[in-house]
Amino acid sequence: MEVGMLPISASKRGKLLAAGYTTLHSISRASPSHLATDIGVSEDEACEILKYASQTSALDPSIGSSNASTLEGGQTAWTMLNEEKFATRITTSCADLDNILGGGITCKEVTELGGVPGIGKTQIGIQLAVNVQIPPEYGGLGGKAIYIDTEGSFMVERVLQIAEACIEDMSEYSHHFHNTVQDCEVKLHPNGILENIFYFRVCSYTEQIALVNYLDKFIEEHKDVKIIILDSVTFHFRQDFDDMALRTRLLSEMALKLMKLARKFCLAVVLLNQVTTKYIEGSYQLTLALGDSWSHSCTNRIVLFWNGDERHAYIDKSPSLKSASAAYSVTTRGIRNSNSSCKRIKMV
Amino acid sequence: MQPQKLLHLPTHKCTVGCPLLDRFLAGGIPCNSITEIVAENATGKTQFCLQLVLYAQLPPSRGGLSASSLYIHTEFPFPLRRLRQLSRAFRSSHPDHPVADPCDRVFVQGVYTADELVDAIPKIELFLIHSRSRFPLRVIVIDSIAALFRSDFDNTVLDLRRRSSLFFKIAGGLKSLAKRFGVAVVVTNQVVDLIEGEKGNSVRAGNLSALYSSGRPVVPALGLAWANCVNSRLFLSREDDGDADVDGSSRKKRRRITVVFAPHLPHSSSEFVITTEGVFGR
Repeated sequence: MEVGMLPISASKRGKLLAAGYTTLHSISRASPSHLATDIGVSEDEACEILKYASQTSALDPSIGSSNASTLEGGQTAWTMLNEEKFATRITTSCADLDNILGGGITCKEVTELGGVPGIGKTQIGIQLAVNVQIPPEYGGLGGKAIYIDTEGSFMVERVLQIAEACIEDMSEYSHHFHNTVQDCEVKLHPNGILENIFYFRVCSYTEQIALVNYLDKFIEEHKDVKIIILDSVTFHFRQDFDDMALRTRLLSEMALKLMKLARKFCLAVVLLNQVTTKYIEGSYQLTLALGDSWSHSCTNRIVLFWNGDERHAYIDKSPSLKSASAAYSVTTRGIRNSNSSCKRIKMV
Repeated sequence: MQPQKLLHLPTHKCTVGCPLLDRFLAGGIPCNSITEIVAENATGKTQFCLQLVLYAQLPPSRGGLSASSLYIHTEFPFPLRRLRQLSRAFRSSHPDHPVADPCDRVFVQGVYTADELVDAIPKIELFLIHSRSRFPLRVIVIDSIAALFRSDFDNTVLDLRRRSSLFFKIAGGLKSLAKRFGVAVVVTNQVVDLIEGEKGNSVRAGNLSALYSSGRPVVPALGLAWANCVNSRLFLSREDDGDADVDGSSRKKRRRITVVFAPHLPHSSSEFVITTEGVFGR
């Protein structure tokens, strides 16, 4: 009984129940004087009861609201549409890539990026880990990043290069739009950017799973994390598993946890994947590793590939984005637009 | 589980013995990762590796790691004479080096099969744990990884899958050692000829659309699966210079080193030469 949760004496509780006050909602609606006359206590005691009632219902939101939905977490599609419109995105620093992504990597979703070695997966991962820290004045999220490295491709000197380039771009931007010198100062420093990337290195699949399980607790303590990058999700799972069904189970559990983290904390999850060849329709084609069942585990899937001498990104699967491809390039300053003269974004 | 402090995590690099090549590689071979050197036979992979294991003994102030090295070779015999020659050149250019014979700091192990290599990894781990002397073990060279896999496996789907999972097991083991002990791992690989018209064979991995050596299109051995296992790939190639010398002596071979992919290096290439003293950039 809700009334039973109130820290009052048993006799008062009995009087409340006898007078017909069974829910906290009914108690809080009453005024102190009415309550006092109804149950036969002094007004001070009635005020105390009301205070306890409002405290208890504030702690537990399901009590006291007669308008609560029967299933917790149910939302109307209208609220969801409004939420999606204001969903925050993290820029990739390449305008063409941002365009096909609808503005950037979306928070609250799991995005998978896969490609051959050398195409730039780790570079995109590092760029996103830096870009998530762009302060809101410059259009970013001002958040922190978690970078889980399974392969050892994360080089601090490269992160410093990209961080310095990002800061230079920001001060150039502010020079254009602000007149006074004080406004132009960018408060970020490359070392500060490094400090806001939480870097974990895992050396086996058990460590990887344990870390993903631990992330819930970690992000509770570091609420400003806005992106989790897993580079790469595949490496430790391509060793021999005697029981492939176990591998599929472990992978789907991991994907589920990551999806829950994305929704719960409103952050973006980016998984980097490798490619393998698969025998489809009589020829060997390139597909992302980890098999067919894994392909259902992420919200968006982007394939990175070479087209001639240019790097391209292609949206392979997405519930909301159009299938399109765009070119990007990897420069000393990070991911940028490619310099080709031909039309960059191709609708498929 | 605590995140690592990035500012305290700088990557150490090991000099390769020539300042030009070091500059090309942004400091040298990085620790804590696997660097692959791909080349045709007789292009200079082994020379490169022999020079690396000697120069790793230099102190960090000179670009080295003050480290001893483990040289795992799969092609027999081990080039001991060339190592001694390079070691003499090393000593003459570094007369104040504390170790009397640099070859003493190079541990050599021959391996015949891939399974033997997998079994060797825990032994290497024990060796690393106990090597806390003045020159701890910090460089591991495997020359070459391709030789272990070229003959034992048929071209059937099952064998290829078994081979693939061995790649990841070996690479996973080496990377774990690299991370725990700060080791630089260098692996050499061979090339396979690329046959025109067989598109299935060549998947472009890296900055170059096609790799050429001695005028022929080639592709690194062991395929896409192994390419996913290494962190960086360097390609050594040689091209015959068209004209013979005026006095009829042998044509000069030009040798080139190219970055195919690396997380910290842009696409670049440079020439190098091999002399009696070693491998040097131009």
